[in-house]
Order: sequence, then C-alpha cells, then structure tokens
Amino acid sequence: MTTIDTPRQDVLDSAAETDNYLTYTRGFLSWILTLDHKRIGVMYMGSVLLSFLVGGTFALLLRTELLTPGRTICSAETYNQFFTLHGAIMVFLVIIPSIPAALGNFVLPIMLGAKDVAFPRLNLFSYFLWLGGAAFTLYSLAAGGFDTGWTFYTPYSTTTTTGGVIPVLIGVFILGFSSIFTGLNFIVTVHKLRPPGMTWFKMPLFLWALYATAIIQVLATPVLAITLCLLIVERVLNIGIFNPSMGGDPVLYQHFFWFYSHPAVYIMIVPAMGIISEIIAVHSHRQIFGYRYIAYSSIAIAMFSFIVWGHHMFTSGQSGLMNTIFSLISFSVAIPSAVKTFNWTMTLYKGTISLTAPMMYALSFLFLFTIGGLTGIHLATLNTDVHLHDTYFVVAHFHYVMMGSALIGMIGGLHHWWPKMTGRMYNEKMACTACIIIFVGFNITFFTQFMLGSQGMPRRYYDYLPEFQVYHVISTIGSYIMAAGFFTSAICFIQSLMSGPKAPSNPWGGVSLEWQCASPPPHDNFKTPPHVGNCYDFSVVHWDEATKNYIIDHKAELAHVTGEGRR
Amino acid sequence: MLSLATAILAQAASPEVTPATFWLPIGASEQAGNVDLMFNIINYICYFFFVLVVGMMVVFVAKYNAKRGKRIRTDGMTHHTLLELSWSVIPLLICIAIFFFGFRGYVDLITPPKNSYDVNVTAFKWGWQFKYPNGAQSDDLVVPSDRPVRLVMRSNDVLHACYIPAFRVKKDIVPGRVSSLWFQCNIPTGLEAKDGYNLFCAEYCGTGHSNMNRKVLVLPQAEFDAWLTKQAAWLDEILDEELYFKAGPKIYARCSQCHSIDGTEGLGPTWKGIWGRLTTPGGARFSDGKGYSDLIGPGKEFANPEEYIRDSIYTPGKHLVAPYGNVMPTFKGQLNDRGVEAITGMMQHLDEFDAKGAWTKTPPAVQK
Repeated sequence: MTTIDTPRQDVLDSAAETDNYLTYTRGFLSWILTLDHKRIGVMYMGSVLLSFLVGGTFALLLRTELLTPGRTICSAETYNQFFTLHGAIMVFLVIIPSIPAALGNFVLPIMLGAKDVAFPRLNLFSYFLWLGGAAFTLYSLAAGGFDTGWTFYTPYSTTTTTGGVIPVLIGVFILGFSSIFTGLNFIVTVHKLRPPGMTWFKMPLFLWALYATAIIQVLATPVLAITLCLLIVERVLNIGIFNPSMGGDPVLYQHFFWFYSHPAVYIMIVPAMGIISEIIAVHSHRQIFGYRYIAYSSIAIAMFSFIVWGHHMFTSGQSGLMNTIFSLISFSVAIPSAVKTFNWTMTLYKGTISLTAPMMYALSFLFLFTIGGLTGIHLATLNTDVHLHDTYFVVAHFHYVMMGSALIGMIGGLHHWWPKMTGRMYNEKMACTACIIIFVGFNITFFTQFMLGSQGMPRRYYDYLPEFQVYHVISTIGSYIMAAGFFTSAICFIQSLMSGPKAPSNPWGGVSLEWQCASPPPHDNFKTPPHVGNCYDFSVVHWDEATKNYIIDHKAELAHVTGEGRR
Repeated sequence: MLSLATAILAQAASPEVTPATFWLPIGASEQAGNVDLMFNIINYICYFFFVLVVGMMVVFVAKYNAKRGKRIRTDGMTHHTLLELSWSVIPLLICIAIFFFGFRGYVDLITPPKNSYDVNVTAFKWGWQFKYPNGAQSDDLVVPSDRPVRLVMRSNDVLHACYIPAFRVKKDIVPGRVSSLWFQCNIPTGLEAKDGYNLFCAEYCGTGHSNMNRKVLVLPQAEFDAWLTKQAAWLDEILDEELYFKAGPKIYARCSQCHSIDGTEGLGPTWKGIWGRLTTPGGARFSDGKGYSDLIGPGKEFANPEEYIRDSIYTPGKHLVAPYGNVMPTFKGQLNDRGVEAITGMMQHLDEFDAKGAWTKTPPAVQK
C-alpha cells in the first residue's frame, strides 16, 4: 500500500529519460535475439505492416484488372494468382498475427502487470517461425506462384500445374505453429503471471479478448496443420484423400479447412473487439458499460466459433439436415456480437469523449462492424445464402468484417498504443484525415460489392458481363482512395518517428497498467510493483495542461477501490 | 407482414419477370419471390439496427464530445441488467424467426417435385454440356416452361457450381458425386441468346472460370419438344460434304477456349498449320520426345492423322504436345464420330475460317 503514495509520475518520467526498452541494449543482434516481449511485438508489427503493403499491392492490381471486362492489365492466369496471393498474404501473414502477435505481444504483459510473457524464448521462436513461413510464401512466388485461391480447395489445388503450391502450403503450416505458440504463451501468461490484485474480472477487456483468441489459436490451428499435411501428401505421393479420381472426397477437405478457418475469422475479429473496448472506454473516459457481458461474450464467441464452420458449405453438397443445424447455430454468434456492439454504444453515453485518431478508428469500426455483422444474417439464412453464396456479397461481407473491423481495429490499436511503443506522438490532424479517407474509400470499395453480389456476380471472376462494369469501376476508384488513406497514415507514422514530439506516459487518459509506466516502457516494464485498481475508473485521472499528460490520482483511486468497492 | 407475403408470392406466380431492384436482379422462377421476400425482410431488419446503432453513436459523440482538460464526468451507468437482457433476447428471437423462415424456404428450394423434367449436366474445365433424355446435347441450357426442371449434375475434373441468379438457385458440382438442383420457370424466353437468363459457374475452377457462363433458354412445352427432336439429329441432318463448315464452327466454339486457329498462344497447342505438321516429318514433338512421324503412319500407333486426331479428342492425356500440360478433358460421350469428322474436316480447311472459327467462304450452292 505504501507504493501508492509514492510520487511515481516523477520517477517514471526520469526513468524514461535514461532507460527504456528501445535504448536498453543496442545493435542488430540485440533486437534479433531479444527475449523482450516489447521488442518482439515491434518486430512483428514491422513485419506485418510490410506484408500488408505487399498484400495491399496485390489488391490494387486485381482491382485495376477489374476496371474493364476482359483483359485490362493482365491475363486470367495472372489475375488468379493476384487474388490468391492477396487472400493468402492478408489472412495468414497480416490479419491473423497482426493483433495477437504484434500488438498483443507488446501490450499484454504490461497491461497485466507482468515483466514479460511466460515463455520469452518460445515467443522469439514463434517470431522466427513467422519469418520462416513468410520466407516460404515468398519462395512460392519464385517457384511459379499458386492460383488455388487462399482456401486451397481440392481437387483444383492438388492438380493445378502452378509450381508454388507446395512451398506455400509449407509456409502456411509453419505460420500455423507460430500462431499456436503465441496462443499457448498468452494462455499461460494470463493464468500464471497476473500480479497480486489482478483478478480475472479486474483484467482489461483487451486481455479477455486475447485470452479468448489464444484458446482458439491453440485448439483450431492444429487442424489446419493436419489438413495442409494431407494436402501435401496427396499432391506429392498421390495418395487419394481429397481427390475423387483417387478415391478421396473434396467435401471432406472443405470440412477440415473450415473447421480451422471459421474459428480463424474469430482469431482476427475477437482481439480487434478487445481493442475497441479499450479505445472506446479510454477515449470516452467512461467506465465501460457492461464489463462482464463484454468479457463473457468474447468467450462465448470463441466457443461458438467451433461449431458453425458448416455455414461455408450450404451449397457444397452437405446434407440438408446439416445445413439446417449449421444455419441455426450460426445465428447464435449474432447474439454476443450484438451484446458487444450495444455495450460499446452505451459506453459513449454520458462519456467525456475526445475525438482522437484512435477514437475515430474505433467509431469507424463500430460503423463498419455493424454493416459487416448484419449482412451476416443474409448469409446465415439458408434460402438467401443459396443465392448469395460465392458471390461478391460474400466478398463484401467478409471484407467489412476482416478488413473494416479486424484491420481497422488493429490500426486503431496501433494509433492508441503508438505513443507507448515509440515514445513519440504523431500529428493528430493528419492521422484523423487518414482515417476519414480510409473510411470513405473503404465504403466506396466494398459497399458496391454488396450490390454486385446480390445482383448475381460470382466471385473470383477475371472477366464479367458488361452490366456489372459500373459497380466494378466505382469499387476500383474506392480502392485507390483507400490506398491514399493508408499512404497518408504511413507518412504520418514515419513523420512521428523522425520528428514527433515526445510522448507523455498517459496521453489519452487511460487507467490500465500500461498507462502507468513510462513511454516507452523501461526494459522490465515496471520499476515498482504496479498498483492494480479498476482499470475503467476514469474519475481518478485529470488532464495536466503543462505536461500535456493525464495524471492518475492514486489516492482517489485507492478510495474508490477500498471505499466504494466499485463493480 | 402476412398480406405482404401473399401479395409478393402471388406476383411471383404470375408469368412475368419480377424487375431488377436496387439489390436484386430479375426474378424468373417460382422460387425467386420467396427468396426475395426473405432478403428484403432481412434488409429492413438490418436497416433498423444499423440506424439504431449508428444513430446512437453519432448522437452520443456529438453530445458528449469534450475538449481535453474538461472535467471527466462520472455519472454514467456501468451496467444495466434489463438492458443487457433486452439486447440479447430480442435479437435472439428475431434470429430464430429469420432462421425458421429461411429454413422453410430452403426446404422448398431443395425438394424437387416428383414430376420434374430431368436434364443431365456435365461441367468441365471450362464449359458445360447439357444432355437430354433423347440423346440431344446442347451448350446452352434449354428447358421447358411451366414445369419443374431438375438438373442432375456431374463434374469431369474439379469443383464447379451451377448458379442461375434469375432463378435464385445454386449448387456445387463435386467430382465423384452427383448433385442436383431444381427450378420452375414460367416465363419463356425463346431461342435468342440475348433474351436468355445467365448461368454462371460459381465455384473457382481455374483459368477459364469466368468464361463458364452460358444462357438458360426457356421454351413452351410444344416448342421445346420440337427443339429437342431437331437438336438430337442436328449432326445427322447435315450432308457429309458440308459437315466441316456447318457443324465444325459450332463444335469448335468449345475447343476455342484452349486452341486458337490463328496461332495465338492458348492453354493447348494452336491448330494453325496442324494438318501440315501432321503429314510432314518432324513437326511438333511430344513430352516423351517423340515426333508426329514416330506415331503416325502404317504399322505405327496411328494408321493416319485422322485416327490420331480422333484419339486425341477421346484420350487427350496419352500423348502430350510439349510443353503443354495434361489439362484437356476427354470428349468421349460428348462428341460422336460425325462430330469428330466435322472437327477433322475443319482442321484440313483452316484457311476457310476466320480467327473466331466462322466460315468465311460462301456456301457452295452451285455444287449442290
């Protein structure tokens, strides 16, 4: 209790001057062999953003090809490789690792009040695995590329003549283990490394989300590994598992694949939901509404995610009874998602809202996730899905969820924790402008695709009927606008790194533990054992104009914790 | 809502195409009305919840927006059990209702009536073959109106999916399995391709995936019967000497996806100069190093070029022209001897055809 009275802000600020995790040791090797979760998180973030650039370039190329029916810039074979690479890179190299491995690695131990994750060496190993997986994926390009679609559906994937199929399968196999190890690490960290006072229901919601995600990563990803192994076995050794001409069954592959890849969707979205819970609470300076409901709904989504995979296969030849059961269960995911959405909205009510860049991203998320989530109803409903399945409606739906929600959430989180990670502020106006450009571009790109799809345009089409052209042109223009937004955002971050003003320890007014340590944090995160209070009680913070910082009044906090016993 | 439902259902039953709307394309099958109704109901539910969430968000942000440094207000609720219950239970009830009606519609969509007319469908990389009970074949799907039609579908190679947006039906075609879908269209289109309904392949199947689109042409029963009889005999009705230019181009339309006749690179070797290559020593070489002259000739595997062509159409993987891959499907059962004869004849007279396979000479009326 004595620690509470220490004037810690001063201690922290002076500590930031002399020693932080960036300056603790120097040199290339000190990064590449580091066991510090913060450095690993930063390296992950750099790698993920680089992959995002590559995946985004493929997206722009394929959107450009679709400007006109028939050939615009490339052949059908090349186009098929573009969309396959775009999908595979964005899913396996960008979105899946982006939040847990990059942001989560940096934030989770600090937020929890721990010095590091439970297994720092495993953590570094998982990053090397990621690099290995990425290397194989890159190598597959040199080996002739692959045109299977990111889903690797058989028997096309076992018979196509493109040479990069096996390298990319090996790459994704390795990436899967990177994901499993991160998940394993987080589960153990959350269970075993919580400091005294950090009970389950005192944990910030981002940690609940990461914990739920980690469960999915550990349980679902091995199935992908097995599936990819079987695919390689079939392709190399000609053992019939999925190919009917050798006695296999292609629908079996789809079951295996979606048994992983549906939960994978929640590996992407659940941590983004956690970020949004943090951003909305912190930037509204308002106790999060319905803490327990949001926490439980993360777990509920993680559980439901395992029993709805069949809704990807309503037209595949799966029996009518199976379709009916999967349709019914799929609707159950709507409930925890709705609970979260309403709770976030209610958190804004009677808040003290700062319209900062992270908040802009969080509000964009709320808008886009509402559309992405609601259009899921069209696809979970059996008879409408028959019409919409494998059309652009599905493409639009999952981009609203995977990009508009998961990726926007990640970028929002990056803005939120950027001052903590780098120790520098960015140009807020520029960041907000970038967010608006991305938001507008995104909606132009993907809302048109809902119409394309419901009008009957199938996906993965190189060529299309002339009546669809107007939608494609609008969509492509939107993608260019979006690219301009991301470009602006990149400039903003680079500018911040080069010449951004020094970040205070608590620029937004958060109460969770990461805002109680310096920016950037010291090597061991906390000089003194952190004080765990109610991480959503914003009555204890006040703005200090002189230092441009929010000060946490620990005396007031203590009074709340012991006196009123809130929550 | 019930009266709305009956109104829309009644509209769907009348023999008129439901016009395209902002969201949906034209509807031309008995089932389309039901699907559209469901789609629109879900849409309105979505509009409601979207406006609710985004509306509250905008209002709250506008109202509680505050500059940094303003005192942080602490009077907001932290939880409210009744609210939590209401926004879990109400959406749950709505979801169950939507599930139920979607399920009802789906059962109708997958249960073909007993008296349906069956058409056999073969999907392959990259085209469709529609076969009728009397042996007739067609590249476009021609069906009778005013009666249920069931497509019995097989794939020769990889996954395909048959999708007819105007009928709101779709079904994957899985190699090694037989799948089916049914529809009933009461609005005849005639035989003009431009009036037909679109039929797409909806499951990614490689290079020619986006060109696997055909038309669905709907004829009244009497016209359909006449078309069917004529279609079954179309190759037999053509005189032998006219076969290569009358039947050739029609059959070539399918070959043209991979084989050009003007030398353009395709997925398979071009036909340009093929007869010259076949009949002179040297020529193209096969993957196993053999040339044409090693295979064709008296006492060799093929007695003459015609036999080689016939074999290449029926068992395309046996000898592969380098450097092309083994991608051509067999046409056994799809192309009979007269069809092969037409194609062989076309190869011998390639100078009479333009790049798209249309015959450029005037019909030799005098000779007849």
